[in-house]
Amino acid sequence: MNSPVPAGSLRPTRTETRTLPLDSVEITFQDRDRTRPFLLLHGGGGVATMAGFADLLAERTHSRVLLPTHPGFGGTPRPASLRGVTDLARAYVGLLDDLELTDVTVIGNSFGGWLAAEIALQAGQRVSGAVIVDGVGIEVDGHPMTDVRGKSVAEIQTYSFHDPSRAPQPQGGTPGPSPDVQALIGYAGPAMTDLTLLDRLGKIDIPVHVVWGESDRIVDPDYGRAYAAAIPGAAFTLLPRTGHLPQAETPEELLGALLDLDRR
Amino acid sequence: MRTPLTVTRIGHACQLIEIGGLRVLTDPWFTQTATYYQGEPLAATVAGLGRVDAVVVSHEHYDHCDLDALLAGGLAPDTPLIGPGTVTSLAHAKGFRNLRTVEAWEATAVGDLTVTAAPGQHGVHEVTFVIQAGGRTVFFGGDSLRVPELDTVPERFGHVDLAILPTNGLCVRPLGHRQVVMDAEDAAGLTAVLRPTLAVPHHYAFHSGRLGDRMITDGDRDPRRYADAVTRLAPDLDVRLVLPGIAVEVA
Repeated sequence: MNSPVPAGSLRPTRTETRTLPLDSVEITFQDRDRTRPFLLLHGGGGVATMAGFADLLAERTHSRVLLPTHPGFGGTPRPASLRGVTDLARAYVGLLDDLELTDVTVIGNSFGGWLAAEIALQAGQRVSGAVIVDGVGIEVDGHPMTDVRGKSVAEIQTYSFHDPSRAPQPQGGTPGPSPDVQALIGYAGPAMTDLTLLDRLGKIDIPVHVVWGESDRIVDPDYGRAYAAAIPGAAFTLLPRTGHLPQAETPEELLGALLDLDRR
Repeated sequence: MRTPLTVTRIGHACQLIEIGGLRVLTDPWFTQTATYYQGEPLAATVAGLGRVDAVVVSHEHYDHCDLDALLAGGLAPDTPLIGPGTVTSLAHAKGFRNLRTVEAWEATAVGDLTVTAAPGQHGVHEVTFVIQAGGRTVFFGGDSLRVPELDTVPERFGHVDLAILPTNGLCVRPLGHRQVVMDAEDAAGLTAVLRPTLAVPHHYAFHSGRLGDRMITDGDRDPRRYADAVTRLAPDLDVRLVLPGIAVEVA
């Protein structure tokens, strides 16, 4: 829940003095930074599935884009204090505190979408909006999430892409990006859902945009509609010819959907 | 078996076109200045490109003809460089040694590769290209306006496998806001005539910096307008919007 804090305290004007190395000139300046910040949250496929979109978003909108690797993914350690998705969300809220950012838009895909919802629930004053892109984590009757455990990379891609031939091609004989199932289960549990999440989504009090790939066969569009319906005032956008990873398959269309909403 | 055809945007209008084993680089641009930004990350450095069998350059503007960067990056000066006379004379002065001057409807061959210049129109003299090898045909539109003669490309060259067209409708403010590049509607109209197996837009992420965009250039940075226009004019054609570095294989 948002509670008021003194105006200007979250992203204060800093006064800094720098000494230029070349000629020892000392300059004191005030720094007011209102660059629009985005926090981008990757899904089970890891940070590589988000990096291209991070570039696109930063370049096209002249914004600051933070793209963390969730602890436990990409070979990084997961501390014991991070027991579940809510703990990880709390850590990211702490990161935004540490960076003294405000008016942050959080964008998450798949597992990252679940994380974005949890951050929206405990965001305090720093996060002003969330975008859930083909998120997981809720349970919707008749629309189960596809269980990727035990499936080959090629099989998972047929579920994840509208056109699997557009899946990222592995470089030089290495296997292509595949979900880091161990890291996912570390946060999400073997069922990869939180039975309490759907109800809790009703408590989100910041604007949320739910964006879904029409051809997503990991979590189908009706699952996405249920996600949006559970969040008060959420907008829902369906992306045609797009699967579970819009930022990888149709990045321009995803960016366009976000910017169209800005202009509405 | 068909000859494989793959295109990878390096950035802006710089594309690496691979037909079979042949590697053709178009409109090179690898640096930036205070008022010229790709608006997208470059997918490769010159050194990281690997072998380049030919370079084709549509006109001499810096963001399409960054010859200094090619040489600084280690490209061999005897790499065949194909372009209109305005480009090859410049390239000669910079030390390129294997120059092929082509004006509209003139062709040159590099091994099994044939490059034919097609007409173009821009703020300066420009040509577009029809690039052919192994039975595959690519139309490369540089950053030209749509000119009527381009509609004859399928009659002259047969089926087009891949069309790469600019879409930002760039206008130059100091020139009375004159349009110098085809816009999404122009490009979609041309696409509907060329009827390629696949169409890929480029030349839309570029910007001139915050103030430059307001004082120098005015361009449309949303490639969806082109995809939407093609869907309207020729719904059976396939358009792909791609980020730099994504290798797109043409069926």
